[in-house]
Amino acid sequence: MMLSIFSLSLVQTDELQTIKTQEGKKLIISEKIYDLDGNIIPFKSLTEGKVLLNVWASWCITCLVEHPFLKSITESKDVKLIGINYKDQNFNAMNYLDKNGDPYEYSIFDLSGDISLKLGVTGAPETFLVIDGEIVSHRIGEVNLEVWNEKFAPYF
Amino acid sequence: MSKKHSNFGTKLVLANFATLIICCGYLFLQFLEDNFSFIYVFENSSILLPTFYKISAFWSAHEGSFLLMILFLSGSMFINNFFFSGQDWMPISNATLAFILFFYLVFQIFTSNPFLTFDVLPNNGTDLNPLLQDPLLVIHPPVLFAGYVFYAVTFSLVIAGMFIGFDKKLFQSLKLWAGVSWFTLTFAILLGSIWAYYELGWGGYWFWDPVENVVLLPWLAGTAFTHSLIFSKNKILLSWMVFLGISTFLLTILASFVVRSGILNSVHSFASDPSRGVFLLSLFGVFAFASLALFFSKSVFLQSEWPKLLSKQYLLVLNNVVLLAILLIVFLGTLYPIVTEVFYGQKLSIGPNYFSSLITPLVLILITLFSVEQFPKLLKINKRKFLLWVLSIALVVIIIDFLKISALSVGLYFIALVLSILLLKALVELVTKRQINIAHKVLGHLSVVLLTFAVIANHQFSESLDVRLKPGEEVEFSNTVVRLDSVDVEGEMNFDTVVANFSIQSGKTQSNLKSEKRVYKIGGVITSETGIVSTIQRDYHIVLGDRFQDGSWSIRYSINYGIMLIWISSILLLFSMLYGTIRRHGY
Amino acid sequence: MKNLLHIFKIFFIFTLPIAADNLYENLNADQLKRLDYLSENIRCPKCSYGNINSSNAPISKDLKQEIADLIGEGYTDDEIFNLMEERYGNYVILKTDINENKTLFLIPLMVLLISILLVTTYTIKRSK
Repeated sequence: MMLSIFSLSLVQTDELQTIKTQEGKKLIISEKIYDLDGNIIPFKSLTEGKVLLNVWASWCITCLVEHPFLKSITESKDVKLIGINYKDQNFNAMNYLDKNGDPYEYSIFDLSGDISLKLGVTGAPETFLVIDGEIVSHRIGEVNLEVWNEKFAPYF
Repeated sequence: MSKKHSNFGTKLVLANFATLIICCGYLFLQFLEDNFSFIYVFENSSILLPTFYKISAFWSAHEGSFLLMILFLSGSMFINNFFFSGQDWMPISNATLAFILFFYLVFQIFTSNPFLTFDVLPNNGTDLNPLLQDPLLVIHPPVLFAGYVFYAVTFSLVIAGMFIGFDKKLFQSLKLWAGVSWFTLTFAILLGSIWAYYELGWGGYWFWDPVENVVLLPWLAGTAFTHSLIFSKNKILLSWMVFLGISTFLLTILASFVVRSGILNSVHSFASDPSRGVFLLSLFGVFAFASLALFFSKSVFLQSEWPKLLSKQYLLVLNNVVLLAILLIVFLGTLYPIVTEVFYGQKLSIGPNYFSSLITPLVLILITLFSVEQFPKLLKINKRKFLLWVLSIALVVIIIDFLKISALSVGLYFIALVLSILLLKALVELVTKRQINIAHKVLGHLSVVLLTFAVIANHQFSESLDVRLKPGEEVEFSNTVVRLDSVDVEGEMNFDTVVANFSIQSGKTQSNLKSEKRVYKIGGVITSETGIVSTIQRDYHIVLGDRFQDGSWSIRYSINYGIMLIWISSILLLFSMLYGTIRRHGY
Repeated sequence: MKNLLHIFKIFFIFTLPIAADNLYENLNADQLKRLDYLSENIRCPKCSYGNINSSNAPISKDLKQEIADLIGEGYTDDEIFNLMEERYGNYVILKTDINENKTLFLIPLMVLLISILLVTTYTIKRSK
C-alpha cells in the first residue's frame, strides 16, 4: 500500500488535467436575449462563425483587471467579442463601459443570471470561444496573455 | 549510552527549543509591530486588525502554522527530557524525534519560509481572512498541531521499544503520552466541529469534507492504539500496538500532506506548485518505509501472546478490526476522488451518504462489542445459548420489518436501550460498592453511546425552512413562530455589519437572537454570522441571506435537535480520556 | 453619515432584483423535502467542498432556485440530477450511488468480514 502511494507521488507531478468546463458542448440559449439598450439579439449572431463570449459585471473586480487585455485583443486582432453582463444593473453596466471603455460588439443583458446559469457559467469572469455554435474553449477565471496563448490563440 | 552522552543530548534539545522560541518570538514581534515588509505578515494581517488576531495570524497560514508545529515538536522533546530524564528509552526517542524535526525544518526552510521580505515596505497588509477572526478558529490549529506532535512522541517511544524492548517503565511512559495525544487530537476535532457549527452557518458540525476526514484517520488509528495499550501487562497484542503506534504517526503526516499540498482544491493546484506536496509525500514514504521495515524485521522480537476466544482481549481485537474498517472507509472515500482525478482525469465526488451508510452500522457494532464486554457472563456461551441469541435477534428483525420501522429509528431505539442498560449498571455499582470500577472507561463508553444517540437524533429530527421576511413579519414553523423584529446597521473596528433581530416563540417561552451579515473593510469580504439559541433539547438557528428589493430578507431557519447533547457527550468523553490518563500514573 | 451611506451601498449589492420569486413558496411540503434532498446532494461548483445548501456563493443560491423551479415544473429527482450532471459533470453529484460504486462499497465490507474470519479462526487455532 505504501508503494502505491509512492508511485502516486511520481505520477502526480506530470499529470495536468483540465477542470470541469463546458468545452465540447453546444451553446445553449433557450430564451430571447437583449443587449444593454434593450434591442433584441438574433441567435445567429452567436452561433455563426467565431465568437468570443465574455462574462463580466461592474461589481466584479477581477473583470476590471482583465478589461484592458480584452481591449487590446479587440484592437490588435480580428476578434468578435460579445459580452454577457452578469447579474448587473443596466445603468451600472453602462457606467462601467463609459468609464473603462467598451471592447464588446454588444453585451447581453442578464440581470438574473439565468441565461448564464443555463450556459454553465458559475461566476464572473468567464470566457467562452464559440465556433459555429459549439464551445471549443472555456476559461473559468480571468483572461491574460498567458491564458490567451494557451486557450484561445490556437484558434485564431 | 553513557550519562555524558545523554546529558549532552538533553542540552542540545534545550538549545534547539530555545532557538526556535527566539525564531517564533521574532515573527510574533513583526506581527505586533505591523512590519509589512515581511510577506507573511503582509498577507495575513493589517493595521486595523485587533491585537488578539495579530497574534493568531502567526499560525493562520501554511508557513507560520508549520513553524508553530515545529516549535511544539521541539517543545515536546524538551518536556520529555525534562520530566523523564534518565529513562532508557530517551536516547532513541530523542534520535527519532530529532530526525523528524530535521526533515520538518528542511521542508520549512526550503519550501515554506515565513521570513521572506519585500524590497519595499507596504503601508498596510491584506488583512487576516475574516473566517479566521474567530476565537474558536484561533485555538483549533495549535491544539491540532499539538495532537500531531504528541503522536510523533508516542511514535518515537514505540520505535525505542522495538530496539530496547518494552518494559514496564516504557509502557507507563507510552500510556501517558498516548493518553495525552489522544485527548489533544480529540479536543482539536471537537473544536473544529464546534467552530463549523457556530461560525460556518450551515447548521452542520461534520460534513465529510476531505479536510475533516483526513484528521479522522489518525484519530481512528489512535483510538485503536490507545485501546491496544490496555493489555500491555501480559504483552498481549504487542505487535498490534506497535503497528498502530506507527500508523497513527504516519497518518498525521498524511493528513498534513493532504491539507497543505493543495491537492484538495484540485490536482491542478498541486501540480502547479508541487514542491510542498511532493516533499511531504516523500517524507511520508521515507518514514513509512523505515518504520515498517523495522517493524517487520523485529516482529520475531515482538512475539506476543494471543488472546483466547471470546475473552476480553479477543473482543478488543475485534474492536480494532472494526475501527480499522471504519478507517479504511474514510481513507477510501477521501482519497478515491483524488486518485481518479490523477489517473483518469475525471473529477468525481464522494458524498456524505457513502460514509454515513457504511459507518453507522459499524458504530453500532462497536457499541455492542464494548457493551457486551461489560457483562462477562454473557460471554460464557455454549451452543444452546448461542442458538437462542441468534433466534431472538432473527425474531426482532422480522418484527421490525413487519412494523416497517425505519433503520434510523431502530438504531435510535437500540442505542437508547444500551444507554439505559449501561447507566443502570453504573448506578447499581455506585450504590452497592460506593464507587465505579474503572470509572473513566465506563464514562468514556457511556459518552460515546450518548454521542451516537445525539448524532442520530439530530439527523432524524432536525428541520429547516427557507423563508422571506420583512421587518415586522412572522412565520409559523414546526410549532414555533419566528418574527423578524428589526434590521440595524452597526460598525466595528475592521468591519461593518447589518444585524437582523429575531424573536422565536415556542409555547410559552420566547427567545431572541441576532443574525448578521458583515462586510470587512479591507478586501470587502462578506461573511454571515449565524444566530443560535440553544436548549438541551434543540437549537434554533437562523442564517441571514440576501435582501430583496422590497426590503424583505431571505432567511434560513433551522431547528436542530440534540446539538447540546453532542457537545456535552463529547466533553464527557474528553474528561474521561483526561481522567484515565492522569489516574494511571498515580498523580 | 458617511458610514451610513457606505452601508446603504452594501444594501444595494445585497439587493436581489428578483421581483416575483418567493423563497420556494410555490412548493408544497413534500416538494420542499425533495428540494432539501436534492440541494444536499448537489455540490457547489465554485467551492472547494460543500453542497449548495451549505454555501453562500451566488451560484449555489441560483442553482437551488433553479432546482426549485424544476421541481415545480414536474421534473423528477433523477431528471434533475441528470440535468446537473450534463451541465457540470459527475463531479457535481454528491450522492454516491451504490450501483455505480460497487467496489467502493464492497471493499471495506469484504475487508471487515475477512478480517473477522481470520482473527476468529486464528484465535481458535491458538487455543488448541
